[in-house]
Amino acid sequence: MDISRYEDHGQFCSGHAACGGCVEALTMRVILNEIGPDAVGVVAPSCTAVILGGYPTSSARIPFIHGLIETAAAMGTGVKRGLAAQGKGDTTVVCFAGDGGTYDIGIQALSSAAERNEDILYVCFDNEGYMNTGGQKSSSTPHGAATGSTPLGKATVKKNLIEIMVAHRIPYIATASPSHLADLAAKVRKARAIRGMKVLIVVIPCLPGWGVADDSAVRVARLAVESGVFPLMEVENGTTWRIASEQTRPIDAYLASQKRYRHLSDGEREALQAEVDAGFARLKALEAINPG
Amino acid sequence: MNKQALSPLWTHLTSEGNRTGTWRAALPRYQDQPSPCLGACPVSGRIATWIGHVKAGDLRAAWEVLCDNNPFPAIAGRICHHPCETACNRAKLDETVSICALERHVGDAALAAGWGFEAGPERGVSVAVIGGGPAGLSAAYQLRRAGIAVTLYEAREALGGLMRYGIPSYRLAREVLEGEIARITAMGIDLRLGTGVADAAALEALAGAHDAVFLATGASLPKRLPGLDYGAGFVVDSAAFLVAPEEEQKAMTGAHVLVIGGGSAAMDVARTARRLGRRVTVMTLEPEGQLPAQQVEIEEAAEEGVAFITGAMLKHAEGGETVTITAVRVRFEPGETRGQFSVSEIGGSAFSLTCDTIIPAIGQDADLARWGAVLGADGPVVGRRAGRIRAGGDVASMERFVTHAIGMGKEAAREIIAELAPDAPLPAPLPGPLVGYARINTAYHPGHPRVRQPSAPLSARLQSFAEVQQPLPAEAARREAERCFSCGTCIHCDNCYLYCPDMAITRLLPGYEVKTDYCKGCGLCVAECPTGAIHMQEDVP
Ligand SMILES: Cc1cc2nc3c(=O)[nH]c(=O)nc-3n(C[C@H](O)[C@H](O)[C@H](O)COP(=O)(O)OP(=O)(O)OC[C@H]3O[C@@H](n4cnc5c(N)ncnc54)[C@H](O)[C@@H]3O)c2cc1C
Ligand SMILES: Cc1ncc(C[n+]2csc(CCOP(=O)(O)OP(=O)(O)O)c2C)c(N)n1
Ligand code: SF4
Ligand code: SF4
Ligand code: SF4
Repeated sequence: MDISRYEDHGQFCSGHAACGGCVEALTMRVILNEIGPDAVGVVAPSCTAVILGGYPTSSARIPFIHGLIETAAAMGTGVKRGLAAQGKGDTTVVCFAGDGGTYDIGIQALSSAAERNEDILYVCFDNEGYMNTGGQKSSSTPHGAATGSTPLGKATVKKNLIEIMVAHRIPYIATASPSHLADLAAKVRKARAIRGMKVLIVVIPCLPGWGVADDSAVRVARLAVESGVFPLMEVENGTTWRIASEQTRPIDAYLASQKRYRHLSDGEREALQAEVDAGFARLKALEAINPG
Repeated sequence: MNKQALSPLWTHLTSEGNRTGTWRAALPRYQDQPSPCLGACPVSGRIATWIGHVKAGDLRAAWEVLCDNNPFPAIAGRICHHPCETACNRAKLDETVSICALERHVGDAALAAGWGFEAGPERGVSVAVIGGGPAGLSAAYQLRRAGIAVTLYEAREALGGLMRYGIPSYRLAREVLEGEIARITAMGIDLRLGTGVADAAALEALAGAHDAVFLATGASLPKRLPGLDYGAGFVVDSAAFLVAPEEEQKAMTGAHVLVIGGGSAAMDVARTARRLGRRVTVMTLEPEGQLPAQQVEIEEAAEEGVAFITGAMLKHAEGGETVTITAVRVRFEPGETRGQFSVSEIGGSAFSLTCDTIIPAIGQDADLARWGAVLGADGPVVGRRAGRIRAGGDVASMERFVTHAIGMGKEAAREIIAELAPDAPLPAPLPGPLVGYARINTAYHPGHPRVRQPSAPLSARLQSFAEVQQPLPAEAARREAERCFSCGTCIHCDNCYLYCPDMAITRLLPGYEVKTDYCKGCGLCVAECPTGAIHMQEDVP
């Protein structure tokens, strides 16, 4: 089954505190195993930080520094430069942060690290809200989705982090999904081999935050990919675009798979479909003028 | 890193000390369960398993799994009515898997390679099998595998029953029939060919001389059409016609043959007559779409130029220079059980037509009166049993199909084995409910249309009695096998292992084990299983 193949080398440990069925933990499993032992991590306050563990235990076999939510990219910069100064320039530095810590609170640090083209791999676990604090909206929350602070549905569209990062012309930007684990592992492998700033955005259907059944987050992530809500793509140097997934189904099943869209009227659903279609068409157009 | 240099603040333990298994309310359980095709298969074949071997290119293993339940895969792969395909889960995604053609693929490979069966160690008990059709041969085969001695009484000079004396060679090549029968007789059977068992007394005597008896004499009494004079020269018995050599068949029939009936036998009479160069019309009570014959037989008959008059009933036939028949259109109502129906005539719809020969082929009844004193004559009963005597196949059932006969022969034999040789190994049935479509994760099964089985060109078909349906090319067969979801059968794809966010599944070689210390009971492993070979079960640690 090519779609799920990857190797587990024991780099991520059982006994962590993620909710049962959490695909953020699953995604961490794939990423940490692909990165391997020669790496140092930094993590912003987020579900990821909780899953990595309360002192004095850790679910990761590599060391992680838990820092401030504003500073994941800045900490990563410092760690990388410190290692380089010690002659350990080959050691991978990985930053883990949520979407709140990336799209909102940490964007200044991220933008400046990107502008300086720091040699770090920045992973955003995009669960489209501030989830470990109870599910408030972030600028990554999509149009129409209900959160604790947007109970009637968010009025504005999801911030386009990809295009923000593209504007920085960094070597590598990619999206990934827990429904396509082999693809995720391949992207981490590719990113590791690239010098400079790499940003990986992984869609994470949050069980309580999105209202998803314990066994269904992979299915919901797959629907996000297949409906074109969260396309799998890569952009290299800001100029080479590759959209690898196709839009093969309408968004209905995706919306129906979560409670956060339950309040939508038929008209609102149709409007969201039109937004998704337009977004996908825009990506294809960008791919066409920036071919790989 | 230097150990002494570690700050006491540094993380020094992994999370593995936390037993998150205590959170769980349910635990995944690995258990192969029956596929819907198995549920529909008259021999309960382990279809998902043997198709899995075809996928892997191991035809020998596929054949062995097939032969656990059916020693005739090359025959069944040609003429089985394949209810498995109607039940196949894949039909809900795109099209059903070509199970029957794949079975032929495996059966043909076994014949080509000359693979054979082995009898079990002798057990010192013996069974009389009466009737050498598919039911009797299937029972004899299962009994010999278990080491039980078999004496087989067959009234005719050759084995096979209606597979030889009914089904024509353009559907079942004779070398295939011979090959699959020879493999069974090679297991060591005391064959009494040309030896009919005459009556109830003879049956009782056999029951006394053996430890058990299996009666599988088929159904040989033709049903009679009212309004037809069977003594008239223009009326030909369908069974006699089908067994006759080609020259005799020609002598029996005139230029235009009217066949009455809509089942397999009627189609075979019609298509045989077409191969003799006759013009053929088939008249059925059933309306179009409800004929009891297999759809492919009806389509092939039509392609070969057989004309159909459906929903009509013969009233009268009058001989002369040609035969003139009168008939009437009818409304057809199927009854509760197979073979039962009622018809009502449609007023003012009478019509007539002319022909030269009439061959009624409307089915057979079992000759129960012959065994009356032993079995009772109150109509056929599946698995009919009196003391040491069991019955199966057409004599005991209205499911008049070769694979039903094979399945009943197997079941009777397994009952006998359980009684007479309790320590002989018998394959255990798969436990649990049939695995429905909802349990298949179709994300792992991309859409692919069904591979079509090729047929001989129409122009060649009417020139000979050579097989119409052609084998699947090897590559096409492997591709078709790939389409099978393997419903309920673990394919060791590792998905459950790879999708667990808690690393709670250990890969054994082969197989998997759940670490109860860590499994939180989320069910992701089950949701991402492509085959439904794992399920959640309530579990409170
Ligand atoms: C023309 C025709 C076409 C058919 N086509 C198909 C098809 O395509 N697919 C399908 O699934 N089914 C088909 N069938 C039905 C199928 O052939 C039967 O359901 C099946 O053969 C029944 O098997 P059996 O072993 O019970 O009986 P039989 O095949 O009838 O075998 C009974 C055997 O017992 C012997 N016997 C009878 N009486 C005695 C006695 N007193 N002592 C000793 N031996 C005796 C007979 O000689 C015979 O060999 C067809 C039937 C006909 C007539
Ligand atoms: C400046 C600041 N404000 C608030 C917090 C409290 N806080 C900790 S984690 C968190 C939510 C982070 O959300 P996100 O980055 O989306 O990650 P998620 O919890 O969804 O994984 C918040 C608000 C903080 N640590 N620092
Ligand atoms: S997909 Fe395969 S196992 Fe499932 S019902 Fe069809 S043939 Fe049987
Ligand atoms: S995915 Fe893991 S934790 Fe979830 S039920 Fe399966 S074994 Fe248990
Ligand atoms: S996911 Fe794959 S390995 Fe696991 S039970 Fe299902 S078929 Fe077997």
